[in-house]
Amino acid sequence: MTYVDKDYSSSNGGAPPQGTFHAGVALSLELRAAASTVVIPTIRTVAADLAARADFDLDSIDDLRMAVDDLCAMLVRIAAAGATLRCRFTVSPERIEVAADIEVEDPTEPLSTRTFGWRVLECLADDVRAMSLPGAVGERDRFCITVAKDAATAPQL
Amino acid sequence: MTPSVSSVGTEHNEYAHLVPLQRRYAELAENDPERQALREQLISGYLPVAEHIARRFAGRGEPIEDLVQVATVGLINAIDRFEPIRGSDFFSFAVPTITGEVRRYFRDHGWSTRVPRRLKDLHIAIRGTLAELSQQLGRAPRPSEIADRLGLPISEVIEGLQAGEAYRSSSLDEMLGSGDGKATLGEFIGGLDNELALIDDRATLRPLLAELAPREQKIIELRFFRQLTQTQIAEQVGISQMHVSRVLRQTLAVLQERMAGRD
Repeated sequence: MTYVDKDYSSSNGGAPPQGTFHAGVALSLELRAAASTVVIPTIRTVAADLAARADFDLDSIDDLRMAVDDLCAMLVRIAAAGATLRCRFTVSPERIEVAADIEVEDPTEPLSTRTFGWRVLECLADDVRAMSLPGAVGERDRFCITVAKDAATAPQL
Repeated sequence: MTPSVSSVGTEHNEYAHLVPLQRRYAELAENDPERQALREQLISGYLPVAEHIARRFAGRGEPIEDLVQVATVGLINAIDRFEPIRGSDFFSFAVPTITGEVRRYFRDHGWSTRVPRRLKDLHIAIRGTLAELSQQLGRAPRPSEIADRLGLPISEVIEGLQAGEAYRSSSLDEMLGSGDGKATLGEFIGGLDNELALIDDRATLRPLLAELAPREQKIIELRFFRQLTQTQIAEQVGISQMHVSRVLRQTLAVLQERMAGRD
């Protein structure tokens, strides 16, 4: 797995204490790996860790972990041979966005959004989208799923 | 009395007298007054089997009395569920059922991977705050709130939570079928139908949901069709949020696996 450190270092300018995030500091992090179910546990653990450090409540942390698990599994299932799974996290104190994409052979409707799996994803996250990304010349098309999880969206009883 | 290994294996003549009782028990109607007496006879008759299996898990940090109790629950499940069709043997059904129950207990109460003592204690401390904090807040607590309660740095709480992932890591051989749910099925099947009509794979999903134990069904329904949070479900079902999380993950994995198998 390649680990692409985007702006992680910039958040260290103010040296967040105790490995947690400063309010107002957004950071992004990207993971790339060969499309395989083997890497999914690592990716979902990263997701949960980011949510915990952003001080999301435990339900939200767990929801995000499951959502990332599901969306990665969906993408790996439709991956073209030799595809790379990219997973980009953008974290702010209010919201974590995850955009994951993968190379596909046929970008037209590679994945139905009328399935139980999709339903689960919609329940776990606050905003779920799927889209095809046309590839540049000489590159394959990609299919992208984005999910966003808001901090403290738990409805009060 | 400690049965020898062979008593649980192929040679189990000392249990031969129970075989006809077992057949009778399976034949009786659910509400037959004779059933209860037979059931008790069977349970006490086969009890050494449960004790034997429990003892094989001794020395792993759980008191033997607890293990025997758990194994006995497994035995009772086995007795209730066994269908004595011709040629089938109770032991080949009961032993995995009882073993499964004990393994499940270890997964719920034990640590499946080696976690440093400090983290283990930390995780236990964190778990101890969850119910009370959830109650006060009306939602699951944040790491910072747990840290405040325990007087610890947030980073340590995060570490402790991660240790919890090792603690509740699950395994594929988890027995999902033997849920001890108290919810009744009829309560929520109607609710499912409307929502499911929207979903393409309902034809596949519906029978799969029906195969789940009532408690697993209930939890899936509350989470994905009624949109309750894990903490709210925990309250309704009467188990911990961590347990809800574990059940959700396992049940989803099972559903998705089975759904893929039936495409």
